[in-house]
Order: sequence, then structure tokens, then C-alpha cells
Amino acid sequence: MRRRYLWAGLVTVIAITVASSAAAMSNHSQKAQVLRISVGAEPPSLDPGLATDTTSANVLFNLMDPLILLGKAPALKAVPGAASSWSVKGAHVVLNLRHNVRWTNGQPVTAQDYVWSWLRTISPELAADYAYQFDGIKGATAYNGCDPAKADCNALKAKVGIKALGKYKLAITLASPQPWFIQQLSHTSFLPVNKAAVTKWGNKWTEPGHIVTDGPFKLASWKHDASLTLVKNTKWRNASKVKLTRVEMPIIVDGTTAENAFRAGNIDIDDTGVPPVDIPSWKKTKFWKVYKSLGTYYYGFNVKNITNVNQRRAMAMAIDRNQIVTFIAQAGQVPARGFTPNGIAGGPTITKHSSMPATSKLAQAKALMAKVANPKKDIHLYVNNSPGHVKIATAIQAFWKELGLNVTIKVQEWKQYLQFLGPPPNSDVDVYRLGWIYDFPDAYNGLVLWTCDSGNNNTNWCNKKYDGLINKATRTPNNAARFKVYQQAEDILTGPNGDLPVMPIYWYTFTDLVKSNVHGFFVNPTDNKDLTTVSIR
Amino acid sequence: MLKFIVRRALWTIPVVLLVVFMTFVMMRQIKGNPFQVTERAVPVSIQRNLDRKYHLNKPWYTQYLYYVKGVFTADLGPSLVQRNQGVNDIIKEHFPVSLKLGGLAMLWAVVFGIPLGIIAALKQNSVFDYAVMTVVNSGYAIPNFLIATLLIYFFALKWRAYTPFPTNGWGGPSSWVLPAIALGHAPMTFFARIVRGSMLETLQQDYIRTAKAKGLRWRRVVGLHVLRNSLIPAVTAAAPLLGFLITGSFIVETIFGIPGIGKYFVTSVTGRDYSVTMGITIMLSLIIIVANLVVDILYGYLDPRTRDVRT
Repeated sequence: MRRRYLWAGLVTVIAITVASSAAAMSNHSQKAQVLRISVGAEPPSLDPGLATDTTSANVLFNLMDPLILLGKAPALKAVPGAASSWSVKGAHVVLNLRHNVRWTNGQPVTAQDYVWSWLRTISPELAADYAYQFDGIKGATAYNGCDPAKADCNALKAKVGIKALGKYKLAITLASPQPWFIQQLSHTSFLPVNKAAVTKWGNKWTEPGHIVTDGPFKLASWKHDASLTLVKNTKWRNASKVKLTRVEMPIIVDGTTAENAFRAGNIDIDDTGVPPVDIPSWKKTKFWKVYKSLGTYYYGFNVKNITNVNQRRAMAMAIDRNQIVTFIAQAGQVPARGFTPNGIAGGPTITKHSSMPATSKLAQAKALMAKVANPKKDIHLYVNNSPGHVKIATAIQAFWKELGLNVTIKVQEWKQYLQFLGPPPNSDVDVYRLGWIYDFPDAYNGLVLWTCDSGNNNTNWCNKKYDGLINKATRTPNNAARFKVYQQAEDILTGPNGDLPVMPIYWYTFTDLVKSNVHGFFVNPTDNKDLTTVSIR
Repeated sequence: MLKFIVRRALWTIPVVLLVVFMTFVMMRQIKGNPFQVTERAVPVSIQRNLDRKYHLNKPWYTQYLYYVKGVFTADLGPSLVQRNQGVNDIIKEHFPVSLKLGGLAMLWAVVFGIPLGIIAALKQNSVFDYAVMTVVNSGYAIPNFLIATLLIYFFALKWRAYTPFPTNGWGGPSSWVLPAIALGHAPMTFFARIVRGSMLETLQQDYIRTAKAKGLRWRRVVGLHVLRNSLIPAVTAAAPLLGFLITGSFIVETIFGIPGIGKYFVTSVTGRDYSVTMGITIMLSLIIIVANLVVDILYGYLDPRTRDVRT
């Protein structure tokens, strides 16, 4: 009898142990929804008004609920985010905000929040670097340019075309109809900030404990230069769809260090970037992932020094873009046919006539060169001091030698380099390297660089017809019609009879190392990593 | 002695002012715009707003006065790059990390370097001596980034099943070991060499021969006479070395992903973050000044002959 009790007791104990450990295990698998992704730099700012870089943007997009999200590539159409719908009539835009978007302090996010946030970013006092994102809005440029010491800026502030029509309706008046404005709203600059938090904590409002956000994750910790931790915001409007409970973001600046951490299993995604020398070995693994990007790596010509278009064309034809991307860049980049990347909406139409060859067309290049009466034989090629850029410059030096050009590569430190390029560039610059990553997915953002007054046009090239076309695009809301306008502009840049102030080399890609148990991770062409779709299996 | 310390402390003021002035002038001589981070041009009106916000639109002497006033009120100003941080925040957050790393590296260097040097000297021309000197000399020639890389490769990757060391980061004690060794290796070999050399010199001295002759036990001769006199050069080298270990750990911090202040020395200059460069330079000069002061005081204690001259 006693023994029977003993057995019964033992069985009960075992059953409880098994049950509880099973419960613990299932609990464990839930807990395992933790993603560890390296970040390549300390985010310079988590204030949407002050952030300008992709590192900050990638943290911010997961902390916040953007008005507009971008749909699938290549169209990257605007899809509803915190704004459930919108209407555009010429230069008048009305956004209808969702009623269930809440700040992490429990307050609803209202149209007035956006008005306050945007006017704050535009204000001359904040001195936001990206205040120009708002230049398309009526009165924004004037208010931003006001000097509070010399004038009363409040009058100008009142004239800015941002108004709240009721609690959840936001009205925007643009300076001109801008077909890409809705897509542009997906940029970090248009995220709201919480007035109470900003007023209470001042410049320190982005610290954990102070920061108030409205997105799928909350900022749990931020050890500067060491790590950030995000935790799921269970009260977010779409929280049931978010699988991850926690995201750990160690800040690892050095490529080799990140690679080591990935090998050791300390991170699931290496977003720091693999050092170029190690790309070939990672390419052979299942971890290597390549994503399309909206960006162009290019060489610009100083047209005051290399005056003859035939010489510029010969130089653009002589280089082998395929070899450059296959053997030097190595990260799946695409040889650029024109300036506008193929991955952008309308890309293939826009660069239809563009004439940059993927492989070297040496015979044609030599023939063109022969037409040049007085070619510039000594070329000063400027690049900034990064090993990858110098390698590409060295290859191009060899390609151009075939044309009888004597190329001297001049390397400068980044900040000096930017100042040296102007505009206008220092007269010693014949050719220079730069790249462009698009802020918003419309070809306008890249083509506008080459207008006469652009601060990014370091070529000395100015073509009024080109400027006219770019201006026309701002007034052409119909996509197909606008793409045709862009095509004409692109023809002037890189077409068979174009001026070639610029020689596109390749279109960028983004690369990551991703562990196989990470599902649903994707980098969209504007370098946005939406972690709401990610799960760990 | 007190008078000496006070006088030296007062002297730091003009030294710091000079350092501030020179750094200020040099930083403004380097071209480059702190606000243009990428190729994106900064529009003229926005540049004007930024210049106004950070007083960069004022003449240089006004900026300098603002800055000096800030330094004496312990406000080193805002960072021009990390927009939500002040230089005070950066130093407060990252300096302790570098201090700890430098301290641990120093500990490693002293605990291993000094005994190695002592034993090598006592067993001069033995196999042990040759082995130590080979390791020390070759070790001194190997740069710390190579040592760091090798340590990570073997102890954090290849043998990671048997060792507790992470590849990077600055968390618990297991993450302190490899960086401290990588950073402390060169000073360790330095200590071993300097101690061995001065021991050998001391061993030749007349008073050692006298001590031996009067029948003192060898152990006592070494412990009392040789060691005390041989460690003076090591001690005098230690204080400024610690200063450099704390602030000069950029490479080791980068390789191990450690959030120390060393990184800011380099990135603030490349990023033209004027106020951060200035703040850290002032901090470094203070550390070196204090380290030298400590050395001078120690000198007085260790070598009574120098005491009278200095007080």
C-alpha cells in the first residue's frame, strides 16, 4: 500500500516536471524571437528632425509609424502607413490619419503633432540639415531662411503650407504640384516628434526613458557606441503581426570585427558590411545576400577642362564596367547604362537611349578620340581615400591609357575632397568620383543634381534645356508622361548625342550576411529594413 | 612638497590655454565642413542656420573666447556631429571605458613584464633569459592590431568552444581579457626590457658587491638593494605610459568594438567635429600633466637626492 502511494507520488512528480519543462520549452521558443543585427555606426541622432543618415533611419523606421510606406520594388508605390488615405489635387494634399496610432505615452498621434513637428524641423532655430526635404512645401524655404536675430520669423512661420484640419486631417499646400510628394513622405524627416517629450527633455529627448515613439518597437536601451536594444511595442496598432519580441543592435564599426561576431554566432545579421577582400569567400556561402539599391556610382567630368564631348564619350566608352563590378566592386552591382538606376520606377524607359556600354568599346572610343582636335592628354583623376575607390580608379587609369591618356590619380581625405570639388570644382580637377543614393524613389531626385544651380553639380556643366525639362517634370503628375520627360533629360546626360558631363559606372546594391534561421528579412531599395516582417525559426 | 604641487597645478592653466589655442587654430586650418557628411551638398541657407546655431558665423577670436569661457565653466559645448550629445556627455560616457581598458592593460604589463625582466636579469645569459628576450624583442616589434587579430582568431573563434572570450564588445570580465592583453602587450615587453637592463646595471654596482661581501643572503640583496634601485626607471615610465594607454587605444577599441574615447580622437578629426576634438585634447593634456606631476612626486620619494632641488 505504502509502495503504491510512493509510485503514485513519483509519477506525479515526473509528470509535473515534464509538463513544466515542456511549458518552459515552448516559452523558450517564444523568447527566442530575438534578432541580433549589427549596426555599422553610432546613430548620429534619433530625432526625426535631425537624422540624415541611413543608420539613424533604420532604427527610427522601426521605432516609428511612418505616414506612408513604400510598396514592392520597382514601383515602390505609396501604401498607407499612419495615414490611411490621401487625396492630391494639384498642389493641395490632404492626408487622413488613422485614429488608432498612439504615442508610447498613451496619447493619440494627431494632425497637430505633425504640424508642430514639421514646423520645428523647418525652423531656422533647429538648424536641421535636412530641412530642405520640406522645400517642396509652400513657404518652407522662406521660413527656414529667416534670421531670427534680424527679423520676426513668426509671420513667415504662419505662412508655411501645413495645417491641421481637425484632429486627424492634415492639409499640405505645395509650392508646385510634385508628383513624388506622397512617396517622399516615407522619408524620416516627415516622422512626427512628441511635443511633450521634446519640451520636457530638450536635446536629450531621444535618450531611452525620455523618448516617446509611435511605432512597432520601443527603444529599451541605447549605450552610445556600444549597442541599442528595441523591444516590441505590444500596444502598436498592428502589434499582432510583429513576431520579434526584441532586437539587439550591437554597434560594430569595423567590417572584420562584425564578420568575426557573425562567425562566432554573436549576431544573426551582419549589416556593418563585409571588407572587400572577404567578399569572394562569403559569396560562396548561403549567408551572402544582395539587395537592389537606388544609387549610382559615377565619375564626373570638369567640362571646363575636358571641353570636347567626343573625348568625354571616348573615355566613357573605353572603360569595362563589367570587369569593374565583377572583379573590383564584387557585390553584385549592375553596370550602369545611364545615370538613373534601373530599379527605380520607370527606370528602363528613362535610360532607354542611354549609351554607356557594359563592356569596353575600345575601337569606337579610339575612333571618337581621333576626332578630337586638341584632346586633354594629362588627366587628373580625383578620388577620396578609400581602398575600393582607389582600386577602381587604377583600373580606369589602365583603360584610359589605351586611349593615349596619361592619368594621374589624386587621392584626398573625404572632407577636404568634398570642399575641393566645390561646386565649382578646383581647376586642377579633370575627373572626380562620387556616388548618389536616392532620398525618395523618383528619378527626379537624381536628375536634379545636374541642373545649373545644383549644389551637387561639380562639373561646371550647365544646360538650360536640361533645366527646363527637370522643371517640367515637377509639373507632370502623370507617371508615363513624366518618365518621358526624364528620358529626354537622361538623353541629354548620357544619350548617344548627349553632353556627357557625367559618366555613370555602376548602380549600387546593398549586401548583408544573414543567418539561415532569420526569415522575412529584406532591404528595400532605399536601404530601409522593416523588422516587423522578420521572424526567427 | 605641497608648495611644489600647488605651483605645478597652477602651471597647468597656461598650458591648457596654450593647448586650446593651438588645437583651435590647427582645427580651423584643416579644410572641410563639419556639416557635410555625405556627398549631399548643404544648401546655403541651411549652412547659415547651422553656423549661427554653433557660433561659427562669429570671428575666430569670439569663438575662441566662447570656448575658453566654456572650458572654465566645465562646459565643453555640443558635438557638431552627434547632434543629441554634448562633449561632456561623450567624455563622461566613454572615458571610463578607456580608463578601465588602459588600467587593465597596464596591470597586464606590470604583472608580467616586471617579473619577466627580473628573472631574465638574474639568470642572465641562461636559456630563460634568451627565451624571454626573444619573445620581448619580437613582441615589441609586433603591432597591437596584429596581436589583437591573432587573439581573436585563436581565442574567440577557433577555440571558442573552450574559451569564454567574445570577439567584440565590452560587457563582463570575459570581454576585457583579450583587449587588455592586446593593448598591454607592447608596454609589457617594454617593462621587461627596461627592468632587465636596469637590474643588470644595478647588479654591477659597488654597493651590491659590498652587500655580498658583508655576507648578506643573496635573496635579501636582491629584494632590498637591487630591486628598489632598479625599479625607478620603470616607475617613471609608468605614469605617462598609462596616460597614453588610456587615450591611445583607438586601434584596439576599433578591432574589439569597444565604446571608448580613443575612437573619438580619430573620428572627431576626420568628421571635423571641432568641439569634440578640442574637448578630448584638453582631457588628454590634463592626463599627461597629472601623470608627469605624479612621476615627479614619486621621483622625490624614490630618489631622495632629487627632493631638495625641487621643493
